[in-house]
Amino acid sequence: MTARKPLLDALVAMLTPRDALVSCLGANARYLPHMTVPCPVFALCDSMSAAIPLALGVALQRPDRHVVALEGDGSLLMSPNVLATVAAASPPNLTMLLWVNGRYESSGGQALPAATVDWAALARAAGIGHVTSAGDVAGLREAFGRARAAGAPALVVVEVAFDPAEAIPPYSERPDEIRARFRL
Amino acid sequence: MTGLEQIVAGLEAAQVSLVASVPDTWIGRLMAGVRRSPRLRAVDVAREEEAVAVACGANLAGGRGAVLIQNAGLLNCGGILAGLVELYHLPCFFIVSLRGDHRDPVYYHAPKGRVTEETLRAWRLPHARADHRGDLTAQVKQGVEFSVESRGPFVLLISGEDLA
Repeated sequence: MTARKPLLDALVAMLTPRDALVSCLGANARYLPHMTVPCPVFALCDSMSAAIPLALGVALQRPDRHVVALEGDGSLLMSPNVLATVAAASPPNLTMLLWVNGRYESSGGQALPAATVDWAALARAAGIGHVTSAGDVAGLREAFGRARAAGAPALVVVEVAFDPAEAIPPYSERPDEIRARFRL
Repeated sequence: MTGLEQIVAGLEAAQVSLVASVPDTWIGRLMAGVRRSPRLRAVDVAREEEAVAVACGANLAGGRGAVLIQNAGLLNCGGILAGLVELYHLPCFFIVSLRGDHRDPVYYHAPKGRVTEETLRAWRLPHARADHRGDLTAQVKQGVEFSVESRGPFVLLISGEDLA
């Protein structure tokens, strides 16, 4: 299984200035301010499970943008209902990346409830028509490219390694800064 | 104009672009009016916290989102109000059906009615009861504009009689 940072690097390298990125709380949100991202970024530092519906609102309001939502498996497990909401709204410009490591990483790496969730099947059952999986950088590149070309809401399940020793930087931006800089 | 039509007109006058909702009996009637508007996009969501995030996303993207839910759903929203709306200073206008007060004929709503306004005060959420004897269009427009100008939430509580 691949570490988070190379996967995040690969994703950011595929983004364009016409995209918009909405990140869940946790490691992704903490890494992003230290990366050169070519599009506006809105990163959460609280509110588990808000990234996908927030991205949905952006996507519906701005159909000229491709919106990419980063969500974690712990967050989605909290409110998987959002998959049905996205399927119903069916924005053609929303790609969701689900980072799966089985951990509540931002709160200390506690394990999720000990169930083997088939995320791809769950998404399909909720009506998401385009669902793929990736477990390494090459797979992510291929899956993301196909997802953003799908013309329908798409989900990429990204299997990512959990490393309790990973040196994730702390949050470095204040919410008001993040909001003010998110200009589409 | 019915109260329902006045409320929809208020959303239009306030340039609301997107309305995210989980229905109850009253909100469902109101959303039927929203769907008839060519200027409002109705977004059906599965939980009230989603409605808040969807509306905030529309606001972040340059539009104006509104949330139409029951007070039971508002009571679900404490976390996202604190962790998204208040933390990031995002406008978020709510129309919430106030079930369980003395005007509500349905007995099982009463526990929600007893705690809703006290909860709003405890959460320090600006709010008002709609008054169907006045201009509902103006009340809605003022609520939306308050939320935009204050970069925060505003909750307009409605009753079934406000829709008549």
